[in-house]
Amino acid sequence: MNARLEEARPPRPSLGTMAGIVWRTHRRGIIVWVVGLAASMVGTAAGVAGLYDSPAKIHTYAEAVTAGSALAAINGHVEGIDSLGGVIQDEFGFLASFLLPLLGIGLIAGSTRREEESGRLETILGGRIARHQPALAALIVATAAILVTSALFATGLTLSDVPVSGAILYSAALGALAFVFAGFAALLAQLVRHARGVYTGSLIVLAAAYVLRGVGDTTTNWLTWVSPLGWAEKTAPFGNQRWWMLAVPVVAGVAFGGEAVWLAARRDVGSALLRGGSGPAGATRLRRRPIGLAAWLHAPATVGWLAGGLLLTGMMGSLAQQFLDAMSGNSALGDAIGISGGRPLDGFIAVTQLYLAVIGAGYLIQAIGTLRAEEAEGRLETRLAGTLSRARWLAAHAGVITAGLLVIVACSSAVLALSTAWSVGNPDEVGAVVRAGLDYLPAELVFAGLASAVFGLWPRGFGLTWAAYAVATFIAFLGPGLKLAPWALDLAPTTHVGNPPLATVRTGSLAALAAVALALTLVGFVAFRRRNIPRA
Amino acid sequence: MSQSDAVIDIQKLTKTFGKVRALDGLDLTVHPGEVHGFLGPNGAGKSTTIRILLGLMRATGGQVELFGADPWRQAASLHGRLAYVAGDVALWPGLTGGQCLDVIGATQGRVDQQRRASLIERFELDPTKRIRDYSKGNRQKVALVAALAADADLLILDEPTSGLDPLMEQAFQQCVRERRQDGITVLLSSHILAEVEALADRVSIIRRGRTVTTGSLADLRRHTRASVHAVTVEEPEGLANAAGLADCVCERLDGHVDTRFTIDAEHLDAMIGRLHAARIHTLTVTPPSLDALFLRTYGEALDGQEIGETLAEAAR
Repeated sequence: MNARLEEARPPRPSLGTMAGIVWRTHRRGIIVWVVGLAASMVGTAAGVAGLYDSPAKIHTYAEAVTAGSALAAINGHVEGIDSLGGVIQDEFGFLASFLLPLLGIGLIAGSTRREEESGRLETILGGRIARHQPALAALIVATAAILVTSALFATGLTLSDVPVSGAILYSAALGALAFVFAGFAALLAQLVRHARGVYTGSLIVLAAAYVLRGVGDTTTNWLTWVSPLGWAEKTAPFGNQRWWMLAVPVVAGVAFGGEAVWLAARRDVGSALLRGGSGPAGATRLRRRPIGLAAWLHAPATVGWLAGGLLLTGMMGSLAQQFLDAMSGNSALGDAIGISGGRPLDGFIAVTQLYLAVIGAGYLIQAIGTLRAEEAEGRLETRLAGTLSRARWLAAHAGVITAGLLVIVACSSAVLALSTAWSVGNPDEVGAVVRAGLDYLPAELVFAGLASAVFGLWPRGFGLTWAAYAVATFIAFLGPGLKLAPWALDLAPTTHVGNPPLATVRTGSLAALAAVALALTLVGFVAFRRRNIPRA
Repeated sequence: MSQSDAVIDIQKLTKTFGKVRALDGLDLTVHPGEVHGFLGPNGAGKSTTIRILLGLMRATGGQVELFGADPWRQAASLHGRLAYVAGDVALWPGLTGGQCLDVIGATQGRVDQQRRASLIERFELDPTKRIRDYSKGNRQKVALVAALAADADLLILDEPTSGLDPLMEQAFQQCVRERRQDGITVLLSSHILAEVEALADRVSIIRRGRTVTTGSLADLRRHTRASVHAVTVEEPEGLANAAGLADCVCERLDGHVDTRFTIDAEHLDAMIGRLHAARIHTLTVTPPSLDALFLRTYGEALDGQEIGETLAEAAR
């Protein structure tokens, strides 16, 4: 019998089969990531190229941002800043530091640990796929997606009249940055039990890399060289190009990825090196109540976004004095970072508060997205099968999520106020700084309203909320710098707040934002009470 | 059939997760062409054994051979000869049933498209629906169609009918019988005894990570008791002190003698003789069901070793 079986054995499926499966099961997410990221990068580059269309303007910009070290901490130290490419690299400095690593992390986490924790990996490995192949295929597909993103970006830069070699090196450096984090996420996916853990661990490393690069670019130069973000910066695509620097992230990414593949071949499927122990046998009285369970559900994400807010405000606040020094030495700096007119300190606080508002809005959307996950994974049905009403369930979550937002905004604003006061040696502004943070609450809640309306009306389309968030963030960060039309700027809820404390807040606008938020939330509540559960 | 011909040969298998000992010296032998029932209560180690057999997990100790090779080292090539249905069927919510079949099929040795089409029809599956819109039973059907359509030599089914309605269970059993007639081997893990009874040639029962008993269904039945219900004209003689007889109730009803008792399989023949002498009117002999076997094995609050001894005694 065995002999007959030997003959019948068909050719072995290749790694290509597995890569095909990864592509087939994740292509939608990959396409959205690649096209969205490439389009926004190319669009911004074109916008910057349109604004800085003469050597004189570029020179003024370069003068402004190199005065003092505060901007270098945020956007990085750009070599060859006195060129169109340099300006683009500087403008991108902050966003690219997070978006490209996130590209790598997101592509890998979704196609490795998430598949494993759902049990789908077991189905695949029941076939003729070797244990190491899913991780390797995920890396191959992610690398291909990163290469396409880089190629599109390089093309876009070239079309915006950036020199070809600089465009290619810069795009390659950003791609290599995404690759390092893809490799690191792949390694983490072998060690932790949930995809969530892959995100958390990778983002902690990313934050550390950002801080290392920031400190390195301002004070201790060698620290930049140990940060993956520094590796990208040190290729100096628009200065004295160092092509060999590309080898560092590539080697690191291959090392991480290789370790991941090696581990995948050797460990039990479904196992994790780092995992929680056992817990209590019963739930506390608080956790048995809807609000207690909701609080437990949202706590990890709240802590994560709070950490992001504290990191941002703490860093910005402690650099306040350096900003002021730089701005007093060069009036054009204010324009370069979107602060014009008024007191420089107010302008600086206003920019930071806008960043914080984007963090708060992101938290809200993610938290409401968990409700969608509760429904899609069948837990909502169990919850509502008892005496708990739909309205009470949603209200408990709404209350907890709003409280989480207040904690994030209040704590981060307080940290910003105190660190700024410490930096400039003057505590007079504390009240104004905190008030500016609270002024953004209605605008942030508009995102919560949008998310709950989508959750109520069309839960499957929840991704739209994230798309709206991305557009609004893009407009809020880069819109004024790119001199977008007023109607376009008005699309972002944060525009209507009025840029406190630099400009006076219009109470009417805040009330209107709050009304919109409330109306959208009500739509969500009513629709949720009327619709089928679960709605797939 | 010699040991080396076995499709699955597991000896003294152990597996520990930290301090937890999930498998503690498990033995399992499955011969070519048989449907082997793999029985045990929840948490006995059935799924862990199957995962080790598939090379998804690594054995802590003992010996595991699949088609005479080490499943941990040669997982991918061995999987060309088998098809697997996981206990917890997980598929991609965004893909349709048909797309999932293709994705799984791409990982299998070879898929018989004709059989796949007929299976889809027999299981009344709509391959254009997305997985997230399927009920649990329909998701299970996707996994079963994928496995049964594969041109495999071995089917490994981990609780394959959970979520199926009785009609679909019938269809599934029919399909498995057909595949067995094609000569393939089946390892059927289950705690649904009727299903194992309907399909299995041989059975292994495990408990707390150990094999408690193994053998053909006929063997196992031989060690348990048949229940007999006889209506005779005269009262049968010598029932009270007959060997191997128990639970005897004898009463007169409508001029006949109505007798019920249970008896060891080996003493059945002698007892039928006595009933015959009393002139049988009607006679029903019910062979021991697997339920009785299972309940007897687990009903007694003994640990695995004691159960083994009890069974050994019973065998004697």
